Amino acid sequence: MTQRDTFISELFEIAKKDKDVILISVDMGASALDRWRDELPEQFIWTGISEQHSINLAAGLSEAGKKVYLYFMAAWSARCFEQIRYSCSMAKNPITILSNGVALGYAPAGPAHETNEDIAYMRSLIDVEIHSPANIQMVKSLVKESYENQKLRYIRLERKYDLRFDELGSDDISQGLNVIKNQGDELCIVSYGYMLGRALDVFNKLISDGHKVTLIDMFKMKPNPITSDTFINFNKIVTIEEQTLSGGFGSIILEGLCDNKLTKKVLRLGLPEKYIFENGDRDYHLNNNGLSVSSIHQSIIEFIDE
Amino acid sequence: MDNKQLETIAKSVRKTIFEFKTRDGIGHLHSSLSPVDILVSLFYDESTNFNHETDMVMFGKAHGSPSIYPILADLNYFPKDELEKYCRPGGILRLHSDSSIPGCHFVGGSLGNGIGFASGLAYANRNKNIYIIMGDAELYEGSVWESLMFINHHNLTNLKIIVDRNGLGTIGETETMLKLNPLDEKFKSFVGETKVIDGHNYDDLRSVFSSQSPQVVIANTTKGKGVSYMEGKWKYHTIVPKDKDLIKQGMEELS
Repeated sequence: MTQRDTFISELFEIAKKDKDVILISVDMGASALDRWRDELPEQFIWTGISEQHSINLAAGLSEAGKKVYLYFMAAWSARCFEQIRYSCSMAKNPITILSNGVALGYAPAGPAHETNEDIAYMRSLIDVEIHSPANIQMVKSLVKESYENQKLRYIRLERKYDLRFDELGSDDISQGLNVIKNQGDELCIVSYGYMLGRALDVFNKLISDGHKVTLIDMFKMKPNPITSDTFINFNKIVTIEEQTLSGGFGSIILEGLCDNKLTKKVLRLGLPEKYIFENGDRDYHLNNNGLSVSSIHQSIIEFIDE
Repeated sequence: MDNKQLETIAKSVRKTIFEFKTRDGIGHLHSSLSPVDILVSLFYDESTNFNHETDMVMFGKAHGSPSIYPILADLNYFPKDELEKYCRPGGILRLHSDSSIPGCHFVGGSLGNGIGFASGLAYANRNKNIYIIMGDAELYEGSVWESLMFINHHNLTNLKIIVDRNGLGTIGETETMLKLNPLDEKFKSFVGETKVIDGHNYDDLRSVFSSQSPQVVIANTTKGKGVSYMEGKWKYHTIVPKDKDLIKQGMEELS
């Protein structure tokens, strides 16, 4: 089951017992939505393609005491950024936004359907919480957390994720990051979501090369989960993201280091500063834009040798 | 309360607005004077359905929302001396009203969003009556029309939409900028029963506020109402009189 359908299905079970749980879809479909429509019609609002109104509506419902979840395609978060900022962040009306198909997840639909910069603009919002789960267990934990502790949340859901993390990953979201592999302190690779699969492949290659490496899944992007201990043992850190580098995931790591007064060498790997107008699926675009496993590996080798 | 008494209250409200706006010269005095009679009708005319203790009135055009401050002070939502601290450090009354102010229900200052927020409140509280005052130039925001479709589809008749139709944007007339007319036809098509009234006439206001319908009230108003040199003059949108003689004249006309 996808992250999206897992979230919606798990939430359905909660909603059956709590009439205040409301799910809004801006005309986005999902197989898990069908049960909501059939069995909880009073708790499902189908607003049509009207992201600006839908966020304002959600804010009003939240003010009235409802626990509101809004599901749309990640790219539309930019369209209603003003409403999220104004009606939810500024007015302190907590809602949970299920932002599906982040980054190049909708390739080959083209750059209008892709979000190569949503981490940067969404984390600029005051008092927002941002998560990018890498597996199903974490999605389930986020359902529980978002229900029990209402906040303005932006949950970045992957259309596809690397299934190895259902085994390797954790359901523990308490710290904002989890160590996936710990095989030394020569280098720390930090990634999240879909890119974690590539990070794991690169990690394995580096271990085969004889390097001592640790791999971290930093799924929480705001508030910044980095503490003074997070990278204390590493001299070099590599961040791997499926975003442009302007204010994205790597920037969060840099801010975390700076704010904890840690000086480390950091290599940020991400998408180039451009919109990709080219046919091809997600992996094709990643491989052709400096984020193939081999090109990441090569960049890290050069970084280690500096 | 008869019309004469309501008009007296309105004059006093306008005078108070004029006083606190001209004290420091901050805000949108012009836009705050046009919706005064709408508010006075709602809050003081016992014949209307509005009950300030159970219903909610909010502004889409929050730059005009300071018009409600003298009324809320009069009804003891906050001390009257707060009016003297309008927009000053330590005071609670801001240029745009927000939910930190007793009697105000939404953060103000971004047009086109209040109506969607109000629709959420109305959807969740079907037994609560919500009144939203929107500016006519606010209607250019596309989000408004998204919300109107939702309000109609879900039959949110507990949400009363009042358009403060003063006919002016920031730098000129709406019909010159981008025509809104026939505005009543647009609202009829999007929402339902709509009535155009004189927004300064208490009989007209009473007729639309004493029954459930119409759901949409287009209240024709005059921006800067009560101060002759400001009335209908678009240049006053962001200009608060600073000249002593003009302030004196305004005070005299509102006394």
